[in-house]
Amino acid sequence: MQRILLRRLAQIVPLLLGVIVLNFALIQLAPGSFLDVMTAEQQVSDPVLIERLRVLYGMDQPAIVQLGKYIWSVLTLDFGFSYRQNAPVLDVILHHLPATVILMLASIAIALIVGVTAGVIAAVKVNTVWDNLISLGAVFFFAAPTFWLGIMMTVLFAVKLGWLPVGGMRTIGGPGGVMADTLDVGRHLLLPAVSLGLFYAAMYARVMRAAMLEVFRLEFVRTARAKGLSSAGVVIKHVLRNALLPVVTLLGLQLGTVVGGSVVIEAVFSWPGIGSLMLDSVMSRNYPVVLGVMVLSSLIVALANAAVDLAYFKLDPRIRAR
Amino acid sequence: MSSLSRRNLLAGTAGGVLASVIGGHSLAFGQGAGATPKRGGTLTATWGGFEPQSLFVPPGGGSSPYFTSTKVHERLLRLNNDLGFEPVLALEVTAAEDFMSYIIKLRPNVTWHDGKPFTADDVVFNALNYWKTISAGVALKALVGAEAVDATTVRLAFDAAVPDFFLKSILAGKSGLVIPRHLYDGRDILTNPVNNAPVGTGPFKVKEWVRGSHVEFSRNERYWDPQLPYLDRLVIRWWRDPASRSAAFEAGQLDIGVFNPTPAPDIKRLDATGRFDSTTKGYDNSAWVSTIEFNSRRDIVKRAEVRRAINHAIDRSFIAETIFFGLAKPAAGPIPSSNKLFFNKDVPVYPFDVRKAGQLLDAAGFPVRNGSRFKLNVVAAGWFEENVKLGQYVKQALEDIDITVDLAIPDRATSLKRIYTDYDYDIALSNNSGAVELVPQWTQFTTSDGILKGAAFRNANGYSNPKVDDIVARLSVEIDPKKRVALAHELQVVIATDVPWTSLVEIESVTVASADVRGHSQFADFMGESWGNVWLDR
Repeated sequence: MQRILLRRLAQIVPLLLGVIVLNFALIQLAPGSFLDVMTAEQQVSDPVLIERLRVLYGMDQPAIVQLGKYIWSVLTLDFGFSYRQNAPVLDVILHHLPATVILMLASIAIALIVGVTAGVIAAVKVNTVWDNLISLGAVFFFAAPTFWLGIMMTVLFAVKLGWLPVGGMRTIGGPGGVMADTLDVGRHLLLPAVSLGLFYAAMYARVMRAAMLEVFRLEFVRTARAKGLSSAGVVIKHVLRNALLPVVTLLGLQLGTVVGGSVVIEAVFSWPGIGSLMLDSVMSRNYPVVLGVMVLSSLIVALANAAVDLAYFKLDPRIRAR
Repeated sequence: MSSLSRRNLLAGTAGGVLASVIGGHSLAFGQGAGATPKRGGTLTATWGGFEPQSLFVPPGGGSSPYFTSTKVHERLLRLNNDLGFEPVLALEVTAAEDFMSYIIKLRPNVTWHDGKPFTADDVVFNALNYWKTISAGVALKALVGAEAVDATTVRLAFDAAVPDFFLKSILAGKSGLVIPRHLYDGRDILTNPVNNAPVGTGPFKVKEWVRGSHVEFSRNERYWDPQLPYLDRLVIRWWRDPASRSAAFEAGQLDIGVFNPTPAPDIKRLDATGRFDSTTKGYDNSAWVSTIEFNSRRDIVKRAEVRRAINHAIDRSFIAETIFFGLAKPAAGPIPSSNKLFFNKDVPVYPFDVRKAGQLLDAAGFPVRNGSRFKLNVVAAGWFEENVKLGQYVKQALEDIDITVDLAIPDRATSLKRIYTDYDYDIALSNNSGAVELVPQWTQFTTSDGILKGAAFRNANGYSNPKVDDIVARLSVEIDPKKRVALAHELQVVIATDVPWTSLVEIESVTVASADVRGHSQFADFMGESWGNVWLDR
């Protein structure tokens, strides 16, 4: 297993290099450069200053030289300077990353708990009212756009009832202290995490239900029942464990969408995460930040997939044997 | 109140006094209402866009950093709603007899937020190392020297006569912020880390900037006007989603939003609750228009008669009412009518008349053959939601006079490149904005020296007319205010006759505020004022 893990980690290096070169090429191919956007939005029309900015941000050099310099600087853990934030790219990303990680972990936790529970109930009570209700809910939350759900929940819980804040991550000038701060973030986290989580939960519920029903039909379940095991024991020990594999696969895929998946929710709830940073950076052709986020998120994807592989081994030892 | 009657109201208050009522709520502004300002409280504000790239962006940086930096950095003067200059850091700005130099008397006993004194050396540094080289290079072409006469007196020297209103406009304008010499001298102004936490002389100090969320300002206890600011804290927050801003207003978590903070229908809805007031005051010195521009390098649209015909084919009232939900009004010429100083209403106009448009094109030698006269490439700059719809409307309008249209609505970066760098269009639907003073922002859309590949919001059309160049050259150095107005009027007649570009509609910028916010919207560019005299009546 250690060998597999090492091999996985070794694959990350060429992957990152590929990500850099590919994204750099794509950004170069996109019409308009960040100098266009910057001078336009800053309403710079002085030719002398435009030239000065071009030199300042290295835009006067050929693309291949810019790429070479970038790869070299990444090797030294320097992700460049972002003109839009007037700060080093790494600082900018690390500043936005925690918010997104908290949001994704919370929503995935909600999705797992709600989705898996709902899927199990639906499968155990198949073709009853419970099953129908859960299936209906799953279709609804899967089909409803997350931004619409987010706005509706905001209108209900923040505007009409006034229980929860409209957006942001903390109360401005809010309470000090770790406990109070955690509670404060939690209050702000609730709506975005739930609206994002319910979308994933719907998916997990459907997959879980299907997987459970399939496992129910297998021989070893019948054997377990024949041995006189309690119904709950069969469901939890025999069926659930085997039915979890497809959900873990989905989970692995979703960890990879940490950056992209939350863009919409971050916009609706003005959550200060990396999704909105990414969107801005693409729109403004701010390639140092785009590249930086890409490099870091491909790192996260690679690590998440390695973790999922480990989970596979744990859940189904036969995979290791193959 | 229907939007139609609001339009009549607008027409009735001509002369540029914009509507002070929307949705039937009358407004009482600030101290004018007779109430005594109260001290204290926290005001949460936002604007209709995103977080700035940095709290202060030296070359200007557009509306977002302008909004945040002006609470910290002050200017020498400011322009009020009656287009009169008021002292801020300068007490007097006086021209010499030949208008080749100016003496600036500074306010004494002003300190920077870090306690260092503000002196004439700061202003000299700004004039030579910041305004001239970074923020206002084109406007201050004639500036050749700046010297400190004594600690509170500065002398600016020019190599040509400089009109009084012109210079004061720069000092009171977007590019005239005063930054501390002791924090910028010897360092690159553009990338100085101080820009993320600017230090100024203003009524508010930067307390904390939480990227992605908000910036918090606290009261400057040593402000030169001991009365001000009224607020204890000012928080500028950013919501990416306009609908969330409406929700924040309704939930009581947002007090004031400038520059169209919510979608247009929401503005009317919020007004109707009675808890909010909206106003279009405070934007005269930063007027926005929606423009149609014709590429003079292209065979068909380089002909003025074709451009006039196309102008007749477009229904400006429809654009104002339907695309902008009534938050715009049909433009009559290139310069917005809110420009009380220079606007000329006696210019050729092109009323909506499809039949006439067709006749003009027939006469120009473009009859309909096989269902089409010719084909045009239209680029609608996708940086405003309205431009997308505008592009679709213009396509339809041109097809009504049998012009085949190839419409593209690219994103911001691509639009900029196609229109201002590659000149890859026949017709561009874009936007201009500018101050009351026409030089250089408004004039460089049409002058020959405005043609500069790669520079946005200049003369992308390639229009070059010696007559225009001559008028603008004289406008730049004319010291008699009356003659300047006459020159500006003449300029508008020439542009409106040739129509290399023109305004389709004048966009009305709106401020929405909770009814208990007082003292706002009193200056010609309120978004970029220090807000020291805003207070809360609660």
